[in-house]
Amino acid sequence: MPLTGSDELPERADVELRLPAEGVYVSVLRTTTAGLAARLDFTLDDIEDLRMAVGEAAAIVLESAAAGTDVVARFWLGDRTMTVSVAADCAAPAEIDEDSFAWQVLTTLATSARASTGQSRLDITLVVQATPLEAAL
Amino acid sequence: MSDDEPTRDELVDPPRSAAVEETRRRSAELFAVLSAPDVGLADRSDAREQLVHLHLPLVEHCARRFRNRGEALEDLVQVGTIGLLKAVDRFDNERGVEFSTYATPTIIGEIKRHFRDKGWAIRVPRRLQELRMQIGTTSAELTQALGRSPTPRELAERIGCTVEEIVEGLESGNAYSTLSLDAGDDSDDGTGTMLDTIGVEDDSLENVEIRESIKPLLDALDDREKKILMLRFFRNMTQSQIAAEIGISQMHVSRLLTRTLDHLRTALETD
Repeated sequence: MPLTGSDELPERADVELRLPAEGVYVSVLRTTTAGLAARLDFTLDDIEDLRMAVGEAAAIVLESAAAGTDVVARFWLGDRTMTVSVAADCAAPAEIDEDSFAWQVLTTLATSARASTGQSRLDITLVVQATPLEAAL
Repeated sequence: MSDDEPTRDELVDPPRSAAVEETRRRSAELFAVLSAPDVGLADRSDAREQLVHLHLPLVEHCARRFRNRGEALEDLVQVGTIGLLKAVDRFDNERGVEFSTYATPTIIGEIKRHFRDKGWAIRVPRRLQELRMQIGTTSAELTQALGRSPTPRELAERIGCTVEEIVEGLESGNAYSTLSLDAGDDSDDGTGTMLDTIGVEDDSLENVEIRESIKPLLDALDDREKKILMLRFFRNMTQSQIAAEIGISQMHVSRLLTRTLDHLRTALETD
């Protein structure tokens, strides 16, 4: 089980999804994410947040993704927590603009999020923790 | 039928007609306020609000005719109320037509337009449409009971189906209206007024420092989209809480929020 927010995620993700770096596939990614979260006993609100956060992450990655490449989404399924990494090869990955609307939305929705820009790769990793099921108060 | 005497109702059904007569009288009074030349803004909006409240039963009546078509009644009432608002704003007191006669086609037109514009973009089996409805209702009940939104497992237990079916049902909810994600709300006179009457203070949006590029885009959103965005991101309310606050279903909030975010993103990119 991965530690939430830890930098040391196991090399091997529980689920991997490779998609063409095109906007039309983002909905497939969102759907997959929601399906996985449902199985981790996330609440509907959590699932919605996660679905949207992943959508925003994908949108940011797609902006710099080189044409004809793939977006790779990796999922680490924890105990009522999910870590998702969305990454793509980029010709020249720009620094993430933390004031940008997409990043603001992403960080609001996710429990934590970080972006790493390598030489030619942009990777956005976000963690969403499920609401505790005991009385919310 | 239409050339019957207008007073026919009273003869046939005296108790009901008394109520109808009262509604007509009140509504004529209120329209007189609205059309008077020197009425203050406060009185005018007060009269408008009363007119809307007075005719909400008419909206519910119209909405009921579209039950069992895969949309929650509460959503239909909400859409119908937009039609009512349009009717109130466009009604010409001088024309000598009863307001209810004038408003009914407008309300029904708005509901029909809702089905046309926001209908199932992909043909979804009836079983799934019904499941989606059931998820909506059950989810609202459980949210009340639990004080948080339910998990798919809890929904499955309550409805008596599998988690897989719930996931499928949720997905069909998202497939709903995929084609109109980018379509703007083409209502020309906005939906803000009803939200205004709900009485949520709007200040938080003003207090937030919004980046220059976002500000004009936010201003261009319709009031309901702006409100949902504000509640979600500046007030940190969950979709279920927003749904309860605005009086629409959580799935409807989800659709509107997804559409708004897509819209903002597209608009930002084309800058």
